Amino acid sequence: MSTRDHSTTRRGFLQSAAAGVAVSAMTHPAMAQKQPPVALEEYSPTYFTAEEWTFILAATARLIPSEGDGPGATETRVPVFIDLQLAGDFGNAADWYMEGPHVPDAPAQFGYQSPLTPAEVYRAGIAEFDEWCRQNHNAPFAELDAATQDAALTALQKGDIKLASTQGASFFGLLLQNTKEGYFADPLYGGNHGMAAWVHIGFPGARASYLEWVGIDKPYPLGPVSISGERA
Amino acid sequence: MATNAPKKDVVIVGLGWTGSILAMELCEEGLEVLALERGDDRDTVPDFKYPEVADELKYGVRYGFMQKPRNSTLTVRRTLEETALPYRMLGSFLPGDGVGGAGIHWNGHNWRPMVEELRLRSYVEESFGADIIPEDMTIQDWGVDYDELEPYFDRFEKVAGIAGQAGNINGKIVEGGNPFEAPRSGDFPMPPLPQTVDAMMFADAARKMGYHPFPRPAANASQAYTNPYGMQLGPCNFCGFCERFGCLNYSKSSPQTCVLAALKRKSNFSYKVNSEVLKVELAPDGKTATGVTYVTAEGEEVFQPADLVILAAYQLHNVHLMLLSGIGQPYDPATGEGVTGKNYAYQMNGGTSLFFKDIEFNPFVGAGSNGMVIDDFAINQIDFGKEGFIGGSYISSGTTNGQPIRSMRLPPGTPSWGTAWKQATKEWYGHSMSIGSHGSNMAYRDTYLDLDPTYKDRHGRPLMRMTFNWKPNDIRMTQFMKTKIEPIAESMSPDIMQSSYKSEGAMYDVRPYQTTHNVGGAIMGTDPKTSALNRYLQSWDVHNVFVMGATAFPQNLQYNPTGMVGGLAYWSANAIRKDYLPNPRPLV
Amino acid sequence: MKTLLKIIGLLVLLGLVAVAAIAFVPIRATPPQGQVAADFKPAEGQGEYAMRLADCAACHTAEGGKPFAGGRPIESPFGTIWSTNITPDPETGIGGYTLDEFRHVLYDGVRRDGAHLYPAMPYENYRMASEEDVRALYDYFMNGVEPVKSEVKKTALDFPFNQRWGIRVWDWVGLASPGFKPRYNNPVLNRGAYIVETLGHCGACHSPRTPIFAQDGTDGTSDGFLRGGEIAGWSAPDLRGAKSAPQLWSASQLKAYLASGRNNHSAVTGEMSLVVQDSLQYLTNEDLDAVVAYLRHIGDGDGGKEELPASGEKPAPDATTALLNSADPSMDLGPRLYLDNCGACHFTNGKGADGVFPELDGNSLVTADQVTGLLHVILNGSRLPSTRERPADLAMPGFGKRLSDEEVAALATFLRGAWSNKAGPVDTATVAANRSGS
Repeated sequence: MSTRDHSTTRRGFLQSAAAGVAVSAMTHPAMAQKQPPVALEEYSPTYFTAEEWTFILAATARLIPSEGDGPGATETRVPVFIDLQLAGDFGNAADWYMEGPHVPDAPAQFGYQSPLTPAEVYRAGIAEFDEWCRQNHNAPFAELDAATQDAALTALQKGDIKLASTQGASFFGLLLQNTKEGYFADPLYGGNHGMAAWVHIGFPGARASYLEWVGIDKPYPLGPVSISGERA
Repeated sequence: MATNAPKKDVVIVGLGWTGSILAMELCEEGLEVLALERGDDRDTVPDFKYPEVADELKYGVRYGFMQKPRNSTLTVRRTLEETALPYRMLGSFLPGDGVGGAGIHWNGHNWRPMVEELRLRSYVEESFGADIIPEDMTIQDWGVDYDELEPYFDRFEKVAGIAGQAGNINGKIVEGGNPFEAPRSGDFPMPPLPQTVDAMMFADAARKMGYHPFPRPAANASQAYTNPYGMQLGPCNFCGFCERFGCLNYSKSSPQTCVLAALKRKSNFSYKVNSEVLKVELAPDGKTATGVTYVTAEGEEVFQPADLVILAAYQLHNVHLMLLSGIGQPYDPATGEGVTGKNYAYQMNGGTSLFFKDIEFNPFVGAGSNGMVIDDFAINQIDFGKEGFIGGSYISSGTTNGQPIRSMRLPPGTPSWGTAWKQATKEWYGHSMSIGSHGSNMAYRDTYLDLDPTYKDRHGRPLMRMTFNWKPNDIRMTQFMKTKIEPIAESMSPDIMQSSYKSEGAMYDVRPYQTTHNVGGAIMGTDPKTSALNRYLQSWDVHNVFVMGATAFPQNLQYNPTGMVGGLAYWSANAIRKDYLPNPRPLV
Repeated sequence: MKTLLKIIGLLVLLGLVAVAAIAFVPIRATPPQGQVAADFKPAEGQGEYAMRLADCAACHTAEGGKPFAGGRPIESPFGTIWSTNITPDPETGIGGYTLDEFRHVLYDGVRRDGAHLYPAMPYENYRMASEEDVRALYDYFMNGVEPVKSEVKKTALDFPFNQRWGIRVWDWVGLASPGFKPRYNNPVLNRGAYIVETLGHCGACHSPRTPIFAQDGTDGTSDGFLRGGEIAGWSAPDLRGAKSAPQLWSASQLKAYLASGRNNHSAVTGEMSLVVQDSLQYLTNEDLDAVVAYLRHIGDGDGGKEELPASGEKPAPDATTALLNSADPSMDLGPRLYLDNCGACHFTNGKGADGVFPELDGNSLVTADQVTGLLHVILNGSRLPSTRERPADLAMPGFGKRLSDEEVAALATFLRGAWSNKAGPVDTATVAANRSGS
């Protein structure tokens, strides 16, 4: 018999209750919410350098802009999400097979074949793309106007700008993927602040209980809940 | 040097569906059974518990419950001429990891094969003539008939607790079920799940066109259920976190919900996690296995002697272990000789998306196996001679989830970023559905598995190499399905429609998720020259090694494989109990 | 706290009054109850079965410890009592006990060295056990249990409860006469009464306590017997009232609950989990039937009828269900929290699922005056014992991490008034007190 996590005794209850208190004091949403999060400009990135951070703020603000209906990457704190992801297992390709030999120029259908980790791809990609912006527009990406930024990103996406330093990895592909992840992931990971992206599209988040709504074609009215219990 | 562990009667490699079933059945015989699982232990609480498991990023996108390529992967190439490269990050298929294996993260589509599928070559030759089989297509009969397996399909469905509507009970067609299915001896253990909006719309449209819609057979409970082991399922609440997730609600059939707690009560059963089997050890004459060598989490190598070795890892890993252990002659595509690695196959799927501005689908209201299906274009309903391909598909619609990172369906032409993208996510989230085809995939002379010459795993063993590509026969099959699905979709008058089916020249792409229905590589059959396993899943060459899972499929069914895998496990377990244990020997 | 002071006062008073008597009246061991042949040998398994009935393991086997080696803490209103080693180890266990000494412990709560046991040891109930069962138990503990050499923590209660002689006085006042006397013409009822009243010691938790903390009646002839008690702040529900679960449930549902810890209505939590895990699941079918018959016999109602298969027609939703079904964003915090945390398993109608997810509508844990149990389950979750009949150790996760004290209070208050429930609210301070385990 497995006895893992059993807490049928009073003693077990007391211990887990005590543990519960300790954890809740650190992570409870009601407590966390009392302090507004630090402004993105003042945020100290875990992975990015100050220059890179400036780029990420600017680039994500074009990928999911603030204008128009619904929140943008900035309001939902997508850059924080990306910074934390790159500092963690994802950024380090902790789960991936990274042994050589690498064939970075293999056809795309072979999947990821770069020797670089995602964090390394960002580092190389931001530097080279910013350099391209300097050479072609006399300023780093963040200082360009929105239309020029959009044009540069489009050129990058289409492959008109080729980044040799990312060794076969698609920097734009990663950036766009991670931006959308940060927009829609649970707020636990630093993005989707206030679950605003979920509210925007009408996704109820981590509620995970809808039997009474099966087959109903009316709009579901109740707002989302996050894993930590935040409500909107 | 490996240390020696005390001998066991049975050692089972992998503790997923087939490992837990075989352990249960062999413990009933009083044998001392040890299961070795290379991943972590997993249980509903704490590992799948609410709310932590309702985390799209961790489990849906970062594959938290899957095998990590760093620990175990393979290389892939499409043709014999290409150099295979490692499958470095997960994409096309997602092997499971840990106790429960892929049985925790499936959607729960639980099918039986058609009568004709189990004797496919004979069926084709008898009905349409041998000359319609392309020269490089290496399809075979399974060596076991549907009628022989029926009691075991029934057994697995009762253990797993399948919800559905029978269409054919002992030859009598039942209204509302699948009229084309093989006869079953009784009804499903549970009535079907309720249906989502898209599924009902699809069923109405299909019915109007004269087709025969029926509810998908679901390993998601529709009510409280107790199985023959006393294990319990609770009703599925349509949480929308099914595939890629462990079930938070004891609703999805899995080794955890259906077998393991009952198995763990048996004093003659034990299991070790974080224990990876490196090799099956053979006696000097190669005719029997002496046990397995595994490595512990601490890196210690242990030789585990056993009288009976059951390979119950994932399909790919079973084949890898056989190749590494020298069980069966490795397959050679140049000569067509050898059996281990032969006939790898996959699944040919396609689909059409339908966008409706004014319909609310509430896509987060989803269950893994919810949906309505038609089997009017199944393998036994198509004139292969006339249509110019061998194969078939079931066609279905249903909602599994509305998770926004991975299930954001937007109309064709929508920009992938910027204000327009953001606007589209609001306009179209919850306003689309899809109709999909899930089809067979034949095996070919050059679709196979062997050891890679270059890349090694973390233990220094060669990675396995997959050679696989899409073939014209199967592309014609999926294009045929397109011509059947699009008229149904059009009859529903969507605002926008978009189809996605493989077309001529399509090459296998490891990036997008397609399906985790990898099959074959150590196929079952009637002849040791053309199959690695006999009809009881026993190795022809090493008679105390039995190999479970989709590894044994000679080519792929048009259906999801688990029902077949479960039925075969009980069939093989019965042969071991009744026939092999009293007199251990090659059973055929 | 007030009750505690009252009890302390009473005990001290009784103690002072009786001091003289104690000094002069010798301790008498209760003799065997009933005749057993001199060469009696228990049948194979009889001793172990009696041990299961008496649920010795629940107290004498520590969590993760060797069987019967003691060391499990038992909380009492007077402090922590540590269970003793009852393996046949001669030094640290009971290996040196004679049958008479063993019986003296079971019947009178007096150790071999003459020290009085705290009545956490249910000798109030065991003293009615038959001589045959005493012999079977003795045989089991001498020959069927692995000796374990292990000193356990000494129980050290504060004054005056560390004065064990006080228990003697308590015994004079609190103990009923020994031996079980069959009262019915029906052997099934007599068997049921025997199990419930003696070895099963159901009254130890389910009977209210008198002002001197004795069980208020130890058999079915007493009005107080099994009318509901309390253990460690949890309500041990009334088993006899017309509205009590055993009287409302059908016989088969009551039996399922006892044998597997779950039925179509409810699931065991807290201490009762251990009773099912270590004792009830091992009862024979006949004994379970006898216990069920007896409990229904001594109840105030007629006993619940067997349920008919569901007609398939869903009843019209009540107000609570309708509100939850609406997913109306303007709903109060309580129902909103229910949808966000509870509805996944217990569903909007509060009916759960037969044998898997307990009903919350009408659930005695939810509506108990004592909210400790309800709050414990919300905060920490609960796990069913794995039983022969139902091996799945189904578990509910705890929500203490996700919910603040205010939220738990709002949720508990909602649950206690939802559907047909009509129990009072729970305040934040109570949740806070339970969360910290005080």
